[in-house]
Amino acid sequence: MSTDPILDCPLDQVPEGPEFIAAAMRWHFNPETGSPYWLDRAKTLGFDPREDVRTFEDLRRFPNVANELRDVRVEDLIPRGYGADADVIGVYESGGTTGPPKRVVLLRDWVERLMHRTEQDLRARGYPESGHWLSLGPTGPHVFGELVRWQAARRGGIRFTVDMDPRWVKRCIAEGRADEAERYAEHLIDQSTYILETQDVRVLVTTPPLLTRLARRKALVDLINTKVGAISWGGAHMDPDTRYLLRTEVFPNVKLYGTYGSTMILGGLAERVAPPGEDLVVFDTFSPYISFSVVDQETGEAVRYGDRGQVVMHHVSKSFLLPNNLERDLATRVAPPPGQMGDSVADVGPLPTFENETVIEGVY
Amino acid sequence: MDELIRLDALGAGGPYHSRSRLTITELTGTPVAELSLVPRLFVQRTMAALREARTLPAHERAAALARAGRLFATGVVDGIPAEEYQHIVSRVSGMPIIVVRAATSGIGRRAGEAYRTTRYARPEGAVDDWRDPLTRNGQAVWTRRGDVFAVHAAGNHPGVHTLWLEALALGYRVAVRPSRREPFTPHRLITALRESGFGDDQVVLLPTDYAVADDIIRDADLAMVYGGEEVVNKYGNDVRVLPQGPGRSKILLTGHDWESHLGTIVESVSAFGGTACVNTTAVFVEGDPAPVAEAVAERLSAIPSLPPEDDGAVLPVQPVADAHAIEKYLLDHVNGATPVIGGDGVVDDLGDGSGVLRPAVFLVDRPDAPQTGIELSFPCVWFAPWSRADGIEPLRNTLVLTAITEDAGLVDHLVEDPSIRNVYLGDTPTYLMPPWVPHDAYLGEFLMRTKGVIRT
Repeated sequence: MSTDPILDCPLDQVPEGPEFIAAAMRWHFNPETGSPYWLDRAKTLGFDPREDVRTFEDLRRFPNVANELRDVRVEDLIPRGYGADADVIGVYESGGTTGPPKRVVLLRDWVERLMHRTEQDLRARGYPESGHWLSLGPTGPHVFGELVRWQAARRGGIRFTVDMDPRWVKRCIAEGRADEAERYAEHLIDQSTYILETQDVRVLVTTPPLLTRLARRKALVDLINTKVGAISWGGAHMDPDTRYLLRTEVFPNVKLYGTYGSTMILGGLAERVAPPGEDLVVFDTFSPYISFSVVDQETGEAVRYGDRGQVVMHHVSKSFLLPNNLERDLATRVAPPPGQMGDSVADVGPLPTFENETVIEGVY
Repeated sequence: MDELIRLDALGAGGPYHSRSRLTITELTGTPVAELSLVPRLFVQRTMAALREARTLPAHERAAALARAGRLFATGVVDGIPAEEYQHIVSRVSGMPIIVVRAATSGIGRRAGEAYRTTRYARPEGAVDDWRDPLTRNGQAVWTRRGDVFAVHAAGNHPGVHTLWLEALALGYRVAVRPSRREPFTPHRLITALRESGFGDDQVVLLPTDYAVADDIIRDADLAMVYGGEEVVNKYGNDVRVLPQGPGRSKILLTGHDWESHLGTIVESVSAFGGTACVNTTAVFVEGDPAPVAEAVAERLSAIPSLPPEDDGAVLPVQPVADAHAIEKYLLDHVNGATPVIGGDGVVDDLGDGSGVLRPAVFLVDRPDAPQTGIELSFPCVWFAPWSRADGIEPLRNTLVLTAITEDAGLVDHLVEDPSIRNVYLGDTPTYLMPPWVPHDAYLGEFLMRTKGVIRT
């Protein structure tokens, strides 16, 4: 069985959505090329993806199998079509917010495709062409730090790391040990200071909470404004006021761009380039490989453009299939740019709450 | 109202109109204002600016406070005249307009007196300046415990914003996180303070998401937090935080002549619409409390149900769903108490989406009944029997205790008990708060300390 060339299309081309989806279904559900996991799972789908899934909308027919990735043997996730010597870059895990972590396998052909796209994104945003990168965020089993490593390497730079264990932070907070999370976060900032003070870091990649924390230290802010050309944030929500203050008051000399990604889509997407002063942070997708739908939380139906809903993520590539994964994130549905399959998203994150609960007793 | 009132955050760089905003509605659900909410980054930068700001000299602070008080109480602030401000507060918070008017002039007066009232807390042995000739032989100098003071304010009554004015008078830079229920008063007051001589980096208004509220306290030297039992539990062990917890004010009535004290009881229960921490929550009667409770109930029943902006309004009004939630809470906690009035419910629906909270009077059969600690934000009072054998235990944990008694030995015990914060004697309503009488101790006791200075 030969691979449909559309699945291996040149890195600088973008295949047509429906044609690509049909080819991907033929690949993932052919007994000779599909992964053991999907071939087994197909038995209980109640439909035949090779016949019934041909369009972007059809992806919603799949059940959300993300939770099953907590238990699957990673070997069973690799499509058989790669043969015995599939080029595995690594196995990566979700944050583990809701139970045991989910696992995915990254194969070389996907990483190259993703990196090609990322390189285009970095150029379009004017990231420094040389120099080193500092990843202040998760490494370990998480793909966050790895993406930074590959990006830096492609540009001839070195990736420095300060590792954050997000599971430990979440556990501290869940157990009411906010002071422990606080100490840990300060420790991370201390570690990053040593690197920023001594090395030629040109790009800083971190999370919005750590960026806000970092902004508490004036000397560090001055250092970053002097040295760093671009800051990428991701892994958590950034509200528009924080973004505005970071751009105008804290890091006026540094490019600031967001990334919206997930382990479950095997990558992240860069913030849409917008004129200065634009408050809305939009993320376009990498369709047909990574695509989004924004749906009503109750009905699951698409919301109107401009309305908020829950984000559904789809990953469809030769190396991996995870369609119709309902994420917890809320976002505003935004019209996609020409040629993109599915929605773009904006203002990803929760809406503010002024009080945590209604308290009746007492006069205050 | 055609256009929403814009309540900006008041940061160290001036007003900040944020992208994240909270709509403030009046009692019927109609939006009246948009409150800017600021993120953590804004909070920490503002608190850092407060720390770096200078403090005005004492005479300038006192003069600016007095000017701000007049402007707040009688002037046009941010385009809003005092009468309009009062109407909005009444329509949003449901507080009777006469109470809001009294509070407005009260805040104006207290601002003018703020510097003077700080003097009551200063130890007799202390002077204000190391240059004072007394320090030549060694003297205490009264000094601030820090520079930045944070307030998590309440929205039950505009008067909560009089207390922190003393911190400004003492030279603190102050950050106020307003209540969602009523952000208008601190916004108007801080705007007036800024127009009267205080710098933008000396007094700020930081409306925030709940998740960020603690950052304001963390970045301050000292803080004052209004709230219920949960606030006391959360901050009770933090020496930097002064919790303003439940009031649970009480009246003790001994002897047989209760008729002549009815007015004191009724007023203590119903003043300010019953929304203050100094409103009486429980009345302890030596002998049979039932006749007293019935007489009080009769007078409270006569109060009419009116919209809060009516000059005759006395009772608080809430959006009808909120009013029913309070009513349900009350009825769920009656737990065997005997209703005198309010046993069938306390909400009087005004038909426009709002409801009056009518008085509730209940009888419990023993002085240590737990219901006597249930403090609700409307005239709601629990009557309990009390005898000298019961001692002062049921009277403890009280902000204001009015004791109508001739028993000086009993009064000794009440005054000595550390959990009773104020003891008023005779026909003194619990809600009286003259500026020279401490409220929950003088705030100055928390904000200041003495420091030894000897010049040789």
